[in-house]
Amino acid sequence: MCKVYVTGMGVVSALGLGKEENRSALLARKSGIGHAKYLNSSLVDKLPVAEVPFNTTAMLPLLHRQENLQQSRLVVLAALAIQEALCDRLGPSGKPSPLTGFINATTVGGMGDVEDVYDSLINPGIRDNLGAGDALDCAAGTEQLARHFGFTQFVSTISTACSSSANAIMYGARLIRHGIIDRAICGGVDTLTRFTLNGFNSLKNIDKQPCRPFDANRNGLNLGEGAAYLVLESEKSINITGATPLAILSGYCNFNEAFHPTAPSPEGEGAYHAMKGAIEAAGLETGSISWINAHGTATINNDEAEGAALLRLFGKEMPAFSSTKSFTGHTLAAAGAIEAVFSIMSIRHGEIYPVLHFNDPMPGLDLVPVTEVKTGIPVNHVLSNSFGFGGNNASLLFSKYA
Amino acid sequence: MLDPVYIRASRAVTAQDTFAANSLPAVFSDAINNTLSYLQPAYQDYFTIMQLRRMSRITRIGMVAAIECLRDAKLTHPQAIITGTGKGSLSDTEKFIHNIMEFNEGTLNPTPFIQSTYNALNGMIGLHHDSSSYNTTYVHRGFSLEHAILDAMMHLHDGEAENALVGSFEEITGEHFVIKEKMGYWKKENISRTELLQADTPGSIAGEGTFFFVLQKQPEDAMVRLNGMKLLFEPQEHQVREQAQALLNANGLSWNDLDVVLLGNNGDNRFDHYYSNFASQLSDETHQLAFKHICGEFDTASGFALWLTAHLVKEQEFSNDLLLKKGSRMRLRNVLIYNNYYGSHHALYLLQECQ
Repeated sequence: MCKVYVTGMGVVSALGLGKEENRSALLARKSGIGHAKYLNSSLVDKLPVAEVPFNTTAMLPLLHRQENLQQSRLVVLAALAIQEALCDRLGPSGKPSPLTGFINATTVGGMGDVEDVYDSLINPGIRDNLGAGDALDCAAGTEQLARHFGFTQFVSTISTACSSSANAIMYGARLIRHGIIDRAICGGVDTLTRFTLNGFNSLKNIDKQPCRPFDANRNGLNLGEGAAYLVLESEKSINITGATPLAILSGYCNFNEAFHPTAPSPEGEGAYHAMKGAIEAAGLETGSISWINAHGTATINNDEAEGAALLRLFGKEMPAFSSTKSFTGHTLAAAGAIEAVFSIMSIRHGEIYPVLHFNDPMPGLDLVPVTEVKTGIPVNHVLSNSFGFGGNNASLLFSKYA
Repeated sequence: MLDPVYIRASRAVTAQDTFAANSLPAVFSDAINNTLSYLQPAYQDYFTIMQLRRMSRITRIGMVAAIECLRDAKLTHPQAIITGTGKGSLSDTEKFIHNIMEFNEGTLNPTPFIQSTYNALNGMIGLHHDSSSYNTTYVHRGFSLEHAILDAMMHLHDGEAENALVGSFEEITGEHFVIKEKMGYWKKENISRTELLQADTPGSIAGEGTFFFVLQKQPEDAMVRLNGMKLLFEPQEHQVREQAQALLNANGLSWNDLDVVLLGNNGDNRFDHYYSNFASQLSDETHQLAFKHICGEFDTASGFALWLTAHLVKEQEFSNDLLLKKGSRMRLRNVLIYNNYYGSHHALYLLQECQ
């Protein structure tokens, strides 16, 4: 079975537009978590979030061809990230393009566009905003983006809560390995919405302070928004595009834990099997892992379960681990892809990004995450975790391209 | 090319009485206000009143369909659970949107938020069957079920799983009917399902359906073999024909070998031409069947065609109510399904009798 290479990537988050802005913020330990300016919610003063710091109309002109796209925050964030991902891999022109698939992920699709006009949508007498009726499903944004970028040969959308884009990357890789497509643009996008903010608030797992992953006194997550996409290619595709690999997607595993609709088992059974499965798929040992970009949402349940799984899998030889959600917030369907981009940046630049606001280890778990930026070190294999509702656990393993 | 897979068990909950006896009934319900709504199963046979109180409509339907499908397959722990849904639990999504407005973003009940999550049903099925395994949910309109099947085929091909529970679930609500009505999805005139396919007007009738299948790598006790699928997004008309031809050729078949073709005609005259041009390839001997006048139109209606195919191949007969054009074949061995969802998502399935 063929190898799967990452040949392009793009990211938009509260840390900024593009890889450089995101990386600078990570290195400067500058978090994107604060109070929302653009989200229309009465909770914005109470609950901090990680909002992309521009309004939608200000971002639209940054797209090369904006005229075909609706003014949807979801679509604009995704389009900016895809545009950046494609710039990385512009191969020699004039060659035939490989069969390309677009595998998108989102948890609530265009809910941000729909929730403000919902009353008029369901009123038979009001015929405004008809287009928003289509945005109520997850595929609407995917299809606009597919047409915009010319990826209409193969389209798909995945929604598995917080692990959505990790599963999209996995699906893209599997399709490539089976020769169904040669190249895949995979990732995810979610915007801040009243729907999700109130949803997580109703579950009582939003911290009123900036989140503290893996800390004894953590008290929940902060929601974020953003988008990130990877270009995955087979060797056959690279021969056509001439792209240079940035990294190898060397392993992945999805393992659903049948425990509870919204909470992981305290032992982190699902997390353990997902991480172990990804490392085994790559033919590696646990000792080869340089950094774990943990799911680390800072909810009471997740960090305890993930921590237990880390200790069970790695024991005393714990690799460096941290959670970049203390910078970006939890961007839901975008999280797996955003953290995949950070994982590959870590490999490319030989640096590890820390967790913010960590003071004390969780009781009974001898675990101290990386709290300072580490630079100038070899980073060969990075494990990136995404765990979600319904027990959905996904781990991706990225390796250095020699 | 992926190895063929075998459908071991197949279950359908629709507006018709398809679930209790796992067969197509002799008498069909008609649409009310252009909607074919679920005939709901007897939930109390499966869950206590306390359990049911916490489960929304589509969760209940999805659970009982999955439970019976696994029971038919004599399977307790499926090795993968993969679903597709265009809209997920619309009832829960709507309820939570309304709760946010009504209580002004105050203290809200999280249950509708949790169940609105597209993969919530997957997680519940896994919990109910104590099945910790590969588990994912595709949410791409008229390709939702197809991606779930394709993913399962890859897992079975690789030997990562010997079997997989694959399904789709969809519901229509009053509010969503209005949203889609304004966008031209449904007929303006009230129509009986019996007149749907001859209507020659735009729009269709709304439907809903939940389908579960056990796919397996081996042919033992299977109903039918799924040789392969093709998905085409917004294709040219000739591409549909070419891809069908490619699918047939890859399996050593020609158009003339098809005994039955199931077509996704939904009575919407904007898209009829796809089906009529497709059907012009077919031999007069091939039976041409339709299915959306029985189940209505929705993102994952192709699941109904797949359920029908599994049964008609196994039982070697079909209901005359499905007939668009009668052929002459007695033996029902090779079946092609061609469905499109409002002209955008075109799916082809090639199925064969086992052995």
